[in-house]
Amino acid sequence: MVTPQLLNDVINVLLLLAPPAAFVSLVLAGISLRREGGGISFVIGGGFTKWMFWAVVFVTLQPLLMWFSSFGVPVSLPGGGINSHWLASLQTDVSNFVTNFVVGRLATTLAAYFVLRAILDAAAGGHPLPSVLTAMFLLGIQTTYKLFATYNTGTQNATADVLDSLWTYLAGTIMPIAAGLAIMGAIFNVATQRPALRLAGVALALLSVSALWKLVLAMVA
Amino acid sequence: MTFYHGILNLTGWAGNVILPTLAGLFLAIAVVQFSRGTAYSHTMYGGFMCLMVSGLLRAFETFSSQRTWNDPDLFWVASISFVNWICNVLLPLYAALQVAAGGLQMAGVTNRFQPISWMRHFASAGLCLLLSGLLRLGEFFVTQGTGGVT
Repeated sequence: MVTPQLLNDVINVLLLLAPPAAFVSLVLAGISLRREGGGISFVIGGGFTKWMFWAVVFVTLQPLLMWFSSFGVPVSLPGGGINSHWLASLQTDVSNFVTNFVVGRLATTLAAYFVLRAILDAAAGGHPLPSVLTAMFLLGIQTTYKLFATYNTGTQNATADVLDSLWTYLAGTIMPIAAGLAIMGAIFNVATQRPALRLAGVALALLSVSALWKLVLAMVA
Repeated sequence: MTFYHGILNLTGWAGNVILPTLAGLFLAIAVVQFSRGTAYSHTMYGGFMCLMVSGLLRAFETFSSQRTWNDPDLFWVASISFVNWICNVLLPLYAALQVAAGGLQMAGVTNRFQPISWMRHFASAGLCLLLSGLLRLGEFFVTQGTGGVT
């Protein structure tokens, strides 16, 4: 039986709306990062990890559908564009709204508010770093999306591949820089007579995250 | 705009611009604390460390690159390197400082500022230099004690 054209168009619209959905997920992840974990940490199973996971799922949606073929359920994705003018225009409008308004303007404004929040955090006796990091995350959403796309292997394991690559990126690229921040925190704590040894240990741990992972693997082997 | 460049530039700005500026503030606070007779050493050392943040980061990077990145013992080796650096590099320097402070105290130069006996300075210097030996002594006692009381 031939699939009705309208159904094919709906499938195409949904698939083409996956990237905008990933962008929205990344914005929500950025907001959750400050809300739940304080900004320099995140809760496993919390809002940040949930939205990051969904962003990865949306980026790797088509490869993920290959699993249905391996289950014996044939999934033939419709090729070509959207024939229905109304649906094509809906897809274009939603994509433009997310790209130009949500990511292009709203995320930038939110980042600016988080910079203000950093100052207010400091005024209230808190730490400005969490809000600053959240602002940077929101400003870097488009590049983060591109990073996800480069990690997409296009296989049915693409979702796990992207998550693996993100872990490696976090452990190998971001955490050594975070170690520098930890050392600065330790120095600041020394000067203000607060415990500093913990941050020195954290700096060493951040510089050897991959080795700690190998250590845990060796322990359970 | 990337998160990577953001956090990299934030670290560079904080380490190379803000901390050297704060060093001056910490040293000023240390002078005020000294003048009021309160504890000033933390602020003073903090001020100097603010000026040495790049070097300290390089030191920590050296500690954590003693083995390959995927060696399970890397964190342990890094911790041991850190402890060795503290005990074998910094403590002998601190011992020299304590000997100098003890000498000044004995000569009556600094005893009007702080009522610490010169003996404490010399004892501290000795302990700094004897730390490895004291640790070995502790290990010897523990090893001897593993047999239990007979």
